[in-house]
Amino acid sequence: MLRVAHLTPAYFSDLSVVGGGERYVYYLAHALRQATEIDQTVFSIGATARSFNQEGIPVKVLRNESPSPEPMEGFSSALWTQLKGFDLVHVHQSLSLFGTYSTPIVRSLGIPMVGTDLGGGENALMLQGRGLELFGGILSISRYAHSLVDGYFSGPHEILVGPVDTDRFCPDETIPRDRKTVLCVSRILPHKGIDRVIKALPDGLRLIIAGRVYDQHYYGLLKEMAAGKDVSFEHDADDDRLLRLYRTAGLFIQASTALDIYGRVIGKPELMGLTSLEAMACGLPAAVADTGSLPELVPDPRFGRIFSSHEELVGLLTDYSYGIWPAPGASALACRHVVANHGMAAIGSRLAAFYASLVPEKTATS
Amino acid sequence: MRILFLNNLFPPLVIGGYEIACANVARALAGRGHDIRLLTTWSHLPLLADQPAWVDRSLDLQWFIPHLSPEPKVQERAIHASFCTIYPNTLRLLQVVREFRPDIVYVWNVAGIGGVALLDLLNQVKVPWAIHLMDRIPAELKAHVPPTILGLFNAQGAELYATARIISMSQHLVDEIEQVGHIGFPQGVDLIPGWADETDALPHEPYLRDGEARFVTAGTVRPHKGIDLILQASSALKMSGREFKVDIYGDGEIQRYVDMARTLQVDDRVSFKGSRRQPELLKLYAEYDCFLFPTWEREPFGFTPVEAAARGAIPIMTRNCGASERLVDGVHCLKIERNVEDLIEAMTMITDRHVDLEAMGQAGHRLGTSDLSFSHSLDRVEAVLRGHARDWQTALADDPKLPLLAFLKHNLSLALRFG
Repeated sequence: MLRVAHLTPAYFSDLSVVGGGERYVYYLAHALRQATEIDQTVFSIGATARSFNQEGIPVKVLRNESPSPEPMEGFSSALWTQLKGFDLVHVHQSLSLFGTYSTPIVRSLGIPMVGTDLGGGENALMLQGRGLELFGGILSISRYAHSLVDGYFSGPHEILVGPVDTDRFCPDETIPRDRKTVLCVSRILPHKGIDRVIKALPDGLRLIIAGRVYDQHYYGLLKEMAAGKDVSFEHDADDDRLLRLYRTAGLFIQASTALDIYGRVIGKPELMGLTSLEAMACGLPAAVADTGSLPELVPDPRFGRIFSSHEELVGLLTDYSYGIWPAPGASALACRHVVANHGMAAIGSRLAAFYASLVPEKTATS
Repeated sequence: MRILFLNNLFPPLVIGGYEIACANVARALAGRGHDIRLLTTWSHLPLLADQPAWVDRSLDLQWFIPHLSPEPKVQERAIHASFCTIYPNTLRLLQVVREFRPDIVYVWNVAGIGGVALLDLLNQVKVPWAIHLMDRIPAELKAHVPPTILGLFNAQGAELYATARIISMSQHLVDEIEQVGHIGFPQGVDLIPGWADETDALPHEPYLRDGEARFVTAGTVRPHKGIDLILQASSALKMSGREFKVDIYGDGEIQRYVDMARTLQVDDRVSFKGSRRQPELLKLYAEYDCFLFPTWEREPFGFTPVEAAARGAIPIMTRNCGASERLVDGVHCLKIERNVEDLIEAMTMITDRHVDLEAMGQAGHRLGTSDLSFSHSLDRVEAVLRGHARDWQTALADDPKLPLLAFLKHNLSLALRFG
């Protein structure tokens, strides 16, 4: 049985970081477990060493040895001893300082490595310095993410967008949808472009914004913009509430931008729009900005549209208001698309095959 | 055997016995038919006329430079290079390993040449290697590199040396490395003490010729070697009316000690003779009655008292320095606590013949020409190397991505240390 170690600078917890990148690692581990017999351990960094189990996946938190408190800049030399015996190591956040520190250790141990950039950092030693070439393979979470590292890596490359837990994120036909509800699920941050949605929101549609506030100034701006419009915020939506919102809204919008309302340029916006995929898995049509990887997520205009400007978003919402879009049956199409291309089973089996291609001697004998 | 030596210095650049011993062992093993390559650093001094062709001076040296900027950042950068990593040196070592395909790499002093990265590279390519400790090199490497950076090279503790064969010239040195650096060697240590070269030995001159005691010392002329103590004891001996002279060979803080000798009014008894090459010194020892070695307690061993003893010059030496493990007090030498009073008393025992000088000189000579002889030590070195040399997977050294791995470690270490 293949023994795989996932290395991640932070783990999905209030004790560490509650973010998409951290949750992604667990999702990937679960997808693999569904696809193949595999022994997996997640290694992460924390203030103190500890071990626990996350839904059947062992998690080992190694004590941070870095002087920096930033999650992406944590690292531990305990990897030298902890990784012995593993057949393959997957370094998540490979362009962070964590990834830059972990990569030479794993390579020195002679263990084949896969690297994935989840948006944390862009260390020049890994890119211009070609540290990425020490990996046996690169897994990118979108074609967009791939394009950012492709010039720095000459080895095997796989692009897997997902996984989405389609057992959980699925439609519930027993719950009626409110076509007038437009849903945004996002942290309240300028580069998420929520202001663009509020600005374009026409009369007759209601907007629910679900997400924690990470920028109070921006939040204040959004509230000002929402004055006189049917806009509400939900900052403490738990997983169940989120699922219900996906199942009851009429349209999902992800409006992330590479140039925020303050004129700041955002690096690597949306390497993978997981919330759009989750929404579509629940049968929700999606409108996404032409930012980062988002256009890749909606290949079929019957259930997904792309906008690049305020005018296009206004037009899109007008079409939606008048029932011109989405196409009939869009809900089922969106759901089927996500299951087939981004679901646990689909991603798990493709990732297992990618791993196997990097350690053929191990997988051939196991 | 194909033996690749790795050392920071090679004559004419030497600091002390460590470098001389390395050069002598390399020459002697070559003389025994082994295929030798010695990778070391440049020399700004004219090369020795007899420098062997197998000496490769392509490494850079960032330490032991007489002038070092007082600017802290510049100093820290030099320290980092010296003890942690110099990328061109790492690349050069890899290149030589690939070309020479040694049966074993024989490491000596790697301070000043980016030692941590060099040892890490040897571990990466899994070539058999041994390290000959004549100073607390592992503790020094660890002390000069922050733990976060050591972690990048798996060098926080003994792991860096886990596959190496360890040779130490004294248990004293092994203990010190463990106490100071918290680095132990669970694989065991081969103790091969310092030696004396018995070739070309001249018979010792009669002791106390013309009623004068002839004292000598040789080495670095600095406080840790006990030069202050020697001058102070000389002053006391002169005031007591005894006939003696002290010759001091070596470089160091000469101006300071010349002034001190004048101040103590012993400049008519104490002479600073400058540096001599080792073969010349070995011959000179036969003219002296006693070798003064009131060195610091952490002296790893000290070749010079053994060499002097082998030539019949009786060592007066610090009781708990490394060499004292091998010389017996009252038989081969006089051991003292490291203070002026003890040194005066021991020197007086020589001037006043309170010990049997001839018997003690002969005992030292016998020791230096048997157990502590160079040829005997070389036999042991050869056996240790032969025992550790083995076939290894040279394909690991040929990994085309090793330079990239070393590059990443080198530059990340700089980023972590200097931002």
